[in-house]
Amino acid sequence: MKVYMPTAAIVGVLTLFIAGTASAGGQEESRSRVLEVGIAGEPDTLDPQATSGTLTFQVLRNVYDTLVVPTEDGRIGPALATDWETSDDELRWTFTLREEVRFHNGSELSSQDVKATFERILAEGSGSPWKEEFSAIEEIRTPGPSEVVFELERPYAPLLSSLASGWGAILPRELIEEEHDFAADPVGTGPFRVTNWVRDNRIVLERHDQYWMEGAPQLDRVNVNIITEPSVQIQGLISGDLHVIDTVLPGDVDTVREADNARLYRQLTALVLVLAMNTDREPLDIPEVRKAINHAIDKEAVLDVAYTGGEVVGTFMDSQSPYYVDTTDMYPYDPDKAREMLEAVGIDDDTTLEIAVPQNYEFHVRAAEMYDEMLSEVGLDTEIRLVDWSTWISDVYRGSKYDLTVVGHTGKLDPDGRLNDGFDYTNWQDDEVDELIEEARRTSEFETRKELYTHVLEILGREVPFVYVGSPYLYVGLSEKVRGFEIDPTLDTYDFRGVSLE
Amino acid sequence: MQTLASRVNNTLLYASLVYLVVLVAAAAAAPLVAPFDPFTQDLGARFVAPGVEGHPLGTDDFGRDVASRLIYGARATLTVGFTAVGIALSLGLVIGLSAGLSEGLPDSALMLVMDAVLSFPTVLLAITVVTIFGYGLAQVMVAVGVIFTPVFARLVRAETLAVKREEYVEASRALGSPPLRTIRLHILPNVLPQIVVQASITFALAVVIEASLSFLGLGTQPPNPSWGLMLKDARNYLLRAPGLALYPGIAVALTVLSLNIIADWLSNRFSASARVQQRAYSRR
Repeated sequence: MKVYMPTAAIVGVLTLFIAGTASAGGQEESRSRVLEVGIAGEPDTLDPQATSGTLTFQVLRNVYDTLVVPTEDGRIGPALATDWETSDDELRWTFTLREEVRFHNGSELSSQDVKATFERILAEGSGSPWKEEFSAIEEIRTPGPSEVVFELERPYAPLLSSLASGWGAILPRELIEEEHDFAADPVGTGPFRVTNWVRDNRIVLERHDQYWMEGAPQLDRVNVNIITEPSVQIQGLISGDLHVIDTVLPGDVDTVREADNARLYRQLTALVLVLAMNTDREPLDIPEVRKAINHAIDKEAVLDVAYTGGEVVGTFMDSQSPYYVDTTDMYPYDPDKAREMLEAVGIDDDTTLEIAVPQNYEFHVRAAEMYDEMLSEVGLDTEIRLVDWSTWISDVYRGSKYDLTVVGHTGKLDPDGRLNDGFDYTNWQDDEVDELIEEARRTSEFETRKELYTHVLEILGREVPFVYVGSPYLYVGLSEKVRGFEIDPTLDTYDFRGVSLE
Repeated sequence: MQTLASRVNNTLLYASLVYLVVLVAAAAAAPLVAPFDPFTQDLGARFVAPGVEGHPLGTDDFGRDVASRLIYGARATLTVGFTAVGIALSLGLVIGLSAGLSEGLPDSALMLVMDAVLSFPTVLLAITVVTIFGYGLAQVMVAVGVIFTPVFARLVRAETLAVKREEYVEASRALGSPPLRTIRLHILPNVLPQIVVQASITFALAVVIEASLSFLGLGTQPPNPSWGLMLKDARNYLLRAPGLALYPGIAVALTVLSLNIIADWLSNRFSASARVQQRAYSRR
């Protein structure tokens, strides 16, 4: 009977939650400009430089601005910087800053703030997980209040993408010097400022009246409610208490789609889901075996059943990236061919491969169950072993102690973020690929880089250290009242600047 | 009233016995009884309703037959129950007897260890053991077995201490009977009733713990079926296919209920017979 306890808890929490938001209602009129958002967990900190947690950036996206931002076509566009140029030797990057941008504390943005921000990350003992990404910066100069120059010690093209990511947020210099506690009280130039953070309950964002973008934001307030139980989020959306929810489980997709007052916002993520193969282990060291395994997996079915749909990819890049190369026709789903190939290599019944799966990711576990079945169909015995996340990181990802494993590689704005060490744990290595990646890092010219990466992705698509499954859809549940909702490409954070409520 | 109550009790008892016998038989003969292979996925037939296409209880999110998975899942449940009780009982018996017969320092030391184990919340201790030794059914069996050892040890020790002082036991020892003979002839027959009652209660608890651990992803490893694991998977489809959660939930509930009813009846019966004996003794 114990197993029914969670259900009782859900009902309890649900009741409390509904009671809570109802009493917080107040006047109807002002409510129509207050957006109620449900997110699945509490950010560990609100300091953008101190964490790699996605929940932090989900909240901070609307509190901070970055110099540049990712655009629809997968390139990089202006934000706090209106313009930038690189010197011919790729060692000097000059950014021109937007005029009349104000921080939440009233001070005006200047090149000093930009300098102080990145020096804070690079400072000795900063402990920022993003230090490495900015380590090519040798010096930051400020020739004028609206001009900032990054001097690099080596050409490093991926820097621009780092500046466009959430951890490239610009902080005010005065407060940095005062050693202000950004972790609890963030101050930025973004469309909203954090006015209240009630732990395990909600984060209140109030409109920043002096926001630089014309006509934005349209909302007065955003309440970011922390709701860990997916069914409570769904119920909140359907009952009208929530306008935006970040968790829609596979079983609930249809519920939201069919609800009268809610709709589903769907976007492809930059995640690349894979079945990774340890190419040091027999028989996975034989390319023919890896190719056979690729033929054995029905990628479309796995995406649909285990991951709520998505788009199949054929190589180690998400299909929306401007660098993507379509190699999906190389190893189509063909179990008969897979069986023949395995037989030709001489795989017998004695071979049992272990699929290590991080136990906390339910969809990966479900995908593993499908791989297990599909591989047994073509005569390859597998066994699932669940491991906890920290064991997965230490043994599988860092230690390469596995045969097969199921995981998703998060998208990085720059292809280098995925390719520089993303396949190291498969023990697959190719000198040509290493050289091409190194070369692409040294040039910031798009066409040249695209050519180099095309080559890399073709080799990766042919040699298959992975079964590249695809990118899943990201679902956001929206109230019928919400207008102008957008998700940042690749970063997958919510942009509330254009949002209004009917 | 008395007769009505006892009639209801009897009916419940028989129903429980029949349920458990059927469950054990079905689990033992799973390949013969199950209508489908519990592992075969049919992505064309996901979430099929009960009774359609020959699936008595429908299919799950991978198109696997739910009834077959329930039957195979019973294997995991019963294996854990029997093994865990077996481990707890044997360990508890040895520890309880040694403590009860020795007294003094060994007794205190053994009981201290048992109290230490007893002081942990059961599920927490099970999670700890499984996390240290790895996820899996075998680990769960050992963990549950160790967790319930103190209960048996205490029971056996208490009875040993009591029986040991009886005049007829002292007499037989005075006549030179070796300790093992004393245990076999005098102590064991006296502890047996309590142990049997405790074993059936422990079995029920083991079923729940196995389900809980598998629900948390620490017990039975997918794709192997287990009731706890079925509940875990069903959680994502509560609104779409509530049956997926209902059937394994009912199976767990009925199993635990049946075991408790039987334990209840056994304990009543033993205490009644003890009373009769006492009465006969005092009359004499």
